Amino acid sequence: MPIQIAELTFLEQLARRFNLPVPEHLDADASRAEVRQALARWGGKGVVKADVMGGGRGKAGAVKVVSDAHQAMQELRRIATMEVKGRQARTAYITQYLPSDTQIYSVITYDSRFFGPSLTLSMKGGVDIESVGPGDKRTLPVDVFKGLDAYQASELLTQLGCPKECISIMSQTLVNFWDMFISTGMRMCEVNPWRVSADNKPYACDFKAVFDAANFKIKNPDLRFPEYPESVTDFEEDMAAWDAASYRGQAHGSELGGDMILPILFGGGASTIIAETLEIAGGSPMFLSDFGGNPPYERMYGTAKRCFDHNLHRASLLLILGGKANNTLIDVTFQAIGDALLHYTEERGPLDIPVVIGRGGPRMVPGFIAMREMLENVRLPYVMFGHDTPLTLVAEYAARLARFIRQQKEGHDESQAAVRSSKEG
Amino acid sequence: MRARRLSGLLKKGDHVAVSNVTGREASGVSVMSQRYANNIVGGWALGKGRQTIQVPGCSGIPVFPTCAELYAELPKSQHPNKVVIYSPPTAVYGEVKEVLDHGGANLRTIFIVTEHVSIEVTAKIYSLCKGASVDVLGCNTLGVINAHEHVRVGAVGGDSPEETFRPGSATIISNSGNMVNTIATYMLSAGIGTHFGISTGKDVLILTPLVEYLKLAAASEQTRLVVLYVEPGGLYESEAVEWMRKTEFDKPVLVYVAGRLTEGRNISLGHAGAVVEGPETSASGKMAAFDDYFGVGPFDPGDRGHQHSADKLRRGIRVTTLHHLPEAAKLICNALGWKPDFPVRQPLKLNPWFINFRGLGDKLPASLYLHQVKIPEPYHAQFARHIKESFGLKPARRDMRNVSHASALDDVARVYGYGLPELMQTRSFGEVLILYWTGELPRHDFEARLVEMCLTASLTNGPGTISAQGGKLSASAGNSPHTAMIATLATIGEVHGGNGRKGVRYLVKVFRDLGINDPYAPDTGVDLGELAQQTARRFKKTKDAAKESGVGYERIPCLGHPVFNDQPVNYDPRERIIYKAFEDAGRRNVFLDFYHELARALRDVGAANKIWAVNMDAALASVWLGICWVPLMEKRITLTRVEDCSFLGFALGRAAGGAAEFLDHQDYGTPMDMRLPAKECEALTRPRKLQ
Repeated sequence: MPIQIAELTFLEQLARRFNLPVPEHLDADASRAEVRQALARWGGKGVVKADVMGGGRGKAGAVKVVSDAHQAMQELRRIATMEVKGRQARTAYITQYLPSDTQIYSVITYDSRFFGPSLTLSMKGGVDIESVGPGDKRTLPVDVFKGLDAYQASELLTQLGCPKECISIMSQTLVNFWDMFISTGMRMCEVNPWRVSADNKPYACDFKAVFDAANFKIKNPDLRFPEYPESVTDFEEDMAAWDAASYRGQAHGSELGGDMILPILFGGGASTIIAETLEIAGGSPMFLSDFGGNPPYERMYGTAKRCFDHNLHRASLLLILGGKANNTLIDVTFQAIGDALLHYTEERGPLDIPVVIGRGGPRMVPGFIAMREMLENVRLPYVMFGHDTPLTLVAEYAARLARFIRQQKEGHDESQAAVRSSKEG
Repeated sequence: MRARRLSGLLKKGDHVAVSNVTGREASGVSVMSQRYANNIVGGWALGKGRQTIQVPGCSGIPVFPTCAELYAELPKSQHPNKVVIYSPPTAVYGEVKEVLDHGGANLRTIFIVTEHVSIEVTAKIYSLCKGASVDVLGCNTLGVINAHEHVRVGAVGGDSPEETFRPGSATIISNSGNMVNTIATYMLSAGIGTHFGISTGKDVLILTPLVEYLKLAAASEQTRLVVLYVEPGGLYESEAVEWMRKTEFDKPVLVYVAGRLTEGRNISLGHAGAVVEGPETSASGKMAAFDDYFGVGPFDPGDRGHQHSADKLRRGIRVTTLHHLPEAAKLICNALGWKPDFPVRQPLKLNPWFINFRGLGDKLPASLYLHQVKIPEPYHAQFARHIKESFGLKPARRDMRNVSHASALDDVARVYGYGLPELMQTRSFGEVLILYWTGELPRHDFEARLVEMCLTASLTNGPGTISAQGGKLSASAGNSPHTAMIATLATIGEVHGGNGRKGVRYLVKVFRDLGINDPYAPDTGVDLGELAQQTARRFKKTKDAAKESGVGYERIPCLGHPVFNDQPVNYDPRERIIYKAFEDAGRRNVFLDFYHELARALRDVGAANKIWAVNMDAALASVWLGICWVPLMEKRITLTRVEDCSFLGFALGRAAGGAAEFLDHQDYGTPMDMRLPAKECEALTRPRKLQ
């Protein structure tokens, strides 16, 4: 999962540091008196918002304009527990309501067209940027060494027809916006919209950012990334921490919601293809994994152990599949997976699910022998394919086999239930 | 781009340098690359250098401490024009800068293999390389292979690139390194080989975009067909499609687009995590763009309608599953009237190499029940050899610098997980020694006692043995007591004391395929007399043939004794004690019994004129092999370890014996008394003078 933050974190940790003007805000712990005083200071109106990752807050009713303290406190309590598009809010907060006729959209991101960062602006802020026509937005490549200067920002704003009175201050603000982007290791940051006040001052009224986990700047101790509830499962959280623990070999794992095949997959490309094939063929893969990158033994063992500990008890089939590796040593990875499987059965008792394997690459022969011996030891049924069988064919076969196993099990469970009920009867 | 055609990326005669060449991955890959292409002129590794990575059969790879020193010390004619970066992510920017500073006009291409380079650094690298007119591939590329000229950089093709990359007419361009290899393998079944295999890299910013590769392919005659493996993210494909349409690109393209799975899901995984700059960057958007360019729907193996329409397939086709690529390629070849590069192989199908369905097999419907196929060569022969050679545990190698199975220290010191205090209180030295050396506590009580008896027997064979002399020499020189043990150990080896190890090796050769489960069983099911007779006859045949030819032959280890050798039937008294200990425990030892049968059989067949003594080394080998036999058969212990245990059993006892000689010599001897007087020494070389 990418590291992301939303508006509240921006308000609390970044805006002041980078001199970016924002509306005043109070968090959900604010007392009724504090909210009352704030509303009075803000001209009687505030906006209560959910701190939740992802968009769609407005349509879900998680953004509410309030005009008195009683209503504000009620909404803070209600919105703090809301779910938006399946995601639980972390908390709620209230910001100053800023009416404005001028709303500006801005995003800085790395852009494949320029092989570097770019700034995109539009005067049609406050709406989904994808709905804005190409004539109403402008993108400017930014020199990654020199950064954005106010002159460039000013040119862009002028081209878009920004009111002259606010071009200067908005340009300066965008330079600060760039400074934040490049100083904190972000890969994308967006303010939508900047609301321009009557005195021509822009205020960042919504914010989101995605950070680049590979950039050392995100390790700045002044920047704390909040944890959002239910955004990841225990398995994903465990895998993410394990993945981050070392750069030797991949250890990605993202839940797909399936419940039949436990897939230990190798290679970013191969794993995507296999998971797609499993889904299409009804194999219901539990997660999307990529365990390639030539992991050493201990890395692969830890990865497999986590996958098994979280998922093996509910799997109908274990699939170990990848393409013909260029670099990943098959004997090392298979020995590690085999040991993790062996230790799982030693700790939790025997398994009775089939194992389907397909792989090729360096040191494949000793790897296959080690895996076969381990599977014989733990007495699991298995089929092993070499690299002359396409991985998509193996995935399709695994999906069909898993469906059969599931049907058998369900039939068995049903007949057991029938026996029980007839005995009880 | 500086390259004008694909060979501009890599060709025969290019000089390649590798950064961080001594790293775990770089060193392994570079050795394989050097064997395949022999194009690496050197590498550098900060803080290392002044060494050469040996590559069997071709030039070694000289290692320099820095990039600057590589350029300073290599002759100018050897200066690299291609550089592969394998440095850790945080070092990549600095390495690229160094390469650009020193590379000069000769430098053409930088391949950045490193993963997890930040996007900011990637953008900076692009800017630097563009300014220097140097092509840059990556980051996170696996490399490039030019199959026609038998050269590669990076790991494309793994350890057997020739097997996958047969020279042919397809250029494979893939966001995934693994898919380059995998697709090339599948294309072989359509009779289509590879011209270039290119791993573009899979980070957010792909520094050489697809359109540039297509331009190179357009200018390369050997490429007839382009195969693409594409993932979501970036506008690289829409840009390429626009260019192909505009320039009327005349080579058909086969494309597989992955990543639809991630649409509508909050998943950022591998390549699919690229910044999405609009709907065109999604998997669906890319599929639509290609279909629109091709002017035909995706390949459908059941639809024969495409086959007769050369015009429709002129631009290529998209496949929806990876294993349709060869069929789609054949369709294009047929439609365009092309011959394949080599004869078409069997179509791709399920080829299980190993199957054991166990009880499940009875329940499976015919459609799921598979039959094992013959494993293709050379793998069939490799499996056969490995299985034959596979005896005992074959653990995967790993970095053991800071880890140990044998010991641990948490609240207490531990031996294979058991607390040392508990072992001290409840177990004998022999039991703990077996645990520490084999990883398992002894299965039988008598085994520890036998090990202790072997240690006692190994203490000494008199002061004249060279190992005892070692201890005495150390005392005579005035050394500290521990040096006596070192000196004693330094004087034992394969000839003196190492016979037990040879004995284990010999016994395993005889017994490994006989299916013995318990070496102490009263009846192991093996006719030892017959086995000994056969072995003796084979030995006599070898011995006679060798004598007739006047050449040496391999003796049977652990038979015969320099002292106990003058009777018709000879015994080593120490071995008898071990033998009796087995009897006292109500057990046999099949290996020791075999040795006695063999000594008798050798006399019977005329290979010996008397029954040789089964010596103490045979007893040592038999004791340790008996202890280790079950773990060895169950692949919990390596054969090397069993051989070594037998040798170490002698070495441990004799080291203590050497210490005893030291203590005695130190108390009663005089300094330097072991020195031989000069008059007792004879010169075998006449005195000579330097000119």
